[in-house]
Amino acid sequence: MNAIELDGITKSFASGLSGVTVCALKSVTLRIPEGETVGLLGSNGSGKTTLLKIILGLLAPTVGTCRVFGVPSNCIDARRFVGYLPEAPEFYPFLTGIELVRFFARLGGLPGRGREGLIRAAIAEVGMSGAAGRRVGTYSRGMKQRIGLAQALVTNPRLVILDEPTANLDPEGAAAVCGVIRRVRARGGTVLLSSHQLNHIEDLCDRVAFLNRGRLVMWAAKNEFAPQRMDGGLLVESLPKACRPELRIWLEDRGARMEGGPIPQRSRLEQVFMAAAGCAPPDEREIP
Amino acid sequence: MSRTRFSAARMALIAQNTLLECRRQRFFLLLSLLTAAMGIAVWVFCDCGFVAPRAKFLLDGGFGALTFFGAVLAIVTAAQSFSGEIEKRTVLAVLARPVWRMEFILGKLAGVMILLLIFYATSTGLLLGLVMWEQAGPGMSSAGFPAGGGQVSGSAVLACGLVQWLRSGVLAALTLLVSSYARSSLFAVVSGFAALVICNLQSVASDACRAAGSGWAESVVGVIGVIFPDFALYDVADGVAAGGVLPTTYLAGVTLYSIAYAGVFGGLAACCFRHREL
Repeated sequence: MNAIELDGITKSFASGLSGVTVCALKSVTLRIPEGETVGLLGSNGSGKTTLLKIILGLLAPTVGTCRVFGVPSNCIDARRFVGYLPEAPEFYPFLTGIELVRFFARLGGLPGRGREGLIRAAIAEVGMSGAAGRRVGTYSRGMKQRIGLAQALVTNPRLVILDEPTANLDPEGAAAVCGVIRRVRARGGTVLLSSHQLNHIEDLCDRVAFLNRGRLVMWAAKNEFAPQRMDGGLLVESLPKACRPELRIWLEDRGARMEGGPIPQRSRLEQVFMAAAGCAPPDEREIP
Repeated sequence: MSRTRFSAARMALIAQNTLLECRRQRFFLLLSLLTAAMGIAVWVFCDCGFVAPRAKFLLDGGFGALTFFGAVLAIVTAAQSFSGEIEKRTVLAVLARPVWRMEFILGKLAGVMILLLIFYATSTGLLLGLVMWEQAGPGMSSAGFPAGGGQVSGSAVLACGLVQWLRSGVLAALTLLVSSYARSSLFAVVSGFAALVICNLQSVASDACRAAGSGWAESVVGVIGVIFPDFALYDVADGVAAGGVLPTTYLAGVTLYSIAYAGVFGGLAACCFRHREL
């Protein structure tokens, strides 16, 4: 079953009294199978957040249809399957962390029996147990991001939509969020992840969708963007030129071969992203 | 799969959260303290001996403070709790849950109404305490308490507080209607105060047009009179200060009038918000 089905989604916004329309999305058609983790990439203003809001039913498409687990996204029932973390989330500053997660758990219809256990488990999962009694207004941006993730996950949704979940986090926090996403995936949940952190997308996602100026320009599976492994290969950097003949002889005596040339890009996704966005790839470096 | 229906429980949860938000903000505390301070100041002035009749001064001053600060509280909390959520985008996470927009807006209105009820109940209780203290005191007759020589009825003071609460409830619903399409909470607050002025002055405008005999102006004022509630209907403090009581028929009528306007404003706000793109 598809978790998300988008058919010819176009979204235009009228701007100002002059009625100038800005087309944020143009004929986006996409199928996201259940259980997959999908990265949504694109430059700023490419329409990622608009697309997420259409999936959540917060915006209505100008043209096209969107379904979540077969239910039209503008129908309230579609939201029973979804947990959502907005970009740069701002939550009620007057609530404590645990009150906030409890509020969203109750809104999501989590039954009273066992609810407190699930709330505490969700908070523990994002590493916020120590600060759960503090008011959200006193949290750092990273802590808000993490408590936001807890509220998104507390109802154990089938589809988790995360808009820039690692944007404000330190490396430790980002790694914790990546761990949470892996666990959601492991239990069969679908994750739609919008992010500019290409290494996280590369690491976590089964597929990647690229948006450029509102158009879906690429829909790539993992093997198309994951870094190629050089099994048995050895990369030597900063070796003085004088030592190269000596090393070549040593290697050839042992049945190996040495190749010079450009160092492969660390991230193929970055190249794919640049190509999809219509930008020139970064300069490649030569072995010194 | 069963369909998600309108849920009073979710609405109550949103109302509870709105109430908590308003209660934990300093603004509510500040206004409550200011109202109490005004009431006590009026009471202290009564003892200076240069104001008469005492009852009218105490009740006019007390209900004046109550009405003014109640209106400020109604407008600001309604605008902040609704437009503020849209501005700060906290509404996105809420509406990404299976929550009807109608539940959200009615929950907000209910939360603000309960907050106003707490405010008016506390303030009217304080005012009633001061009035009863004055009536029981030794110097009351010399200053003429009440003006007509009778006693101010405690139930009339409470009924007057109820009427003021209804007025601020209608104002809160009107502000929510503005907030449902406003792009900023500042716009909602300013529009709320503009609506307050219109509602307070429309009977004066109507009388002026009638006196001037201007047919088209009378029609315009008549249309405005249908769109906006007439707040002159809620001005009953003078009668209470004069020892009068509020008839049950008046109370029933003004309650129905308020429910009708608040219902229409709330319904329109829900319609506007239903199609709003967030």
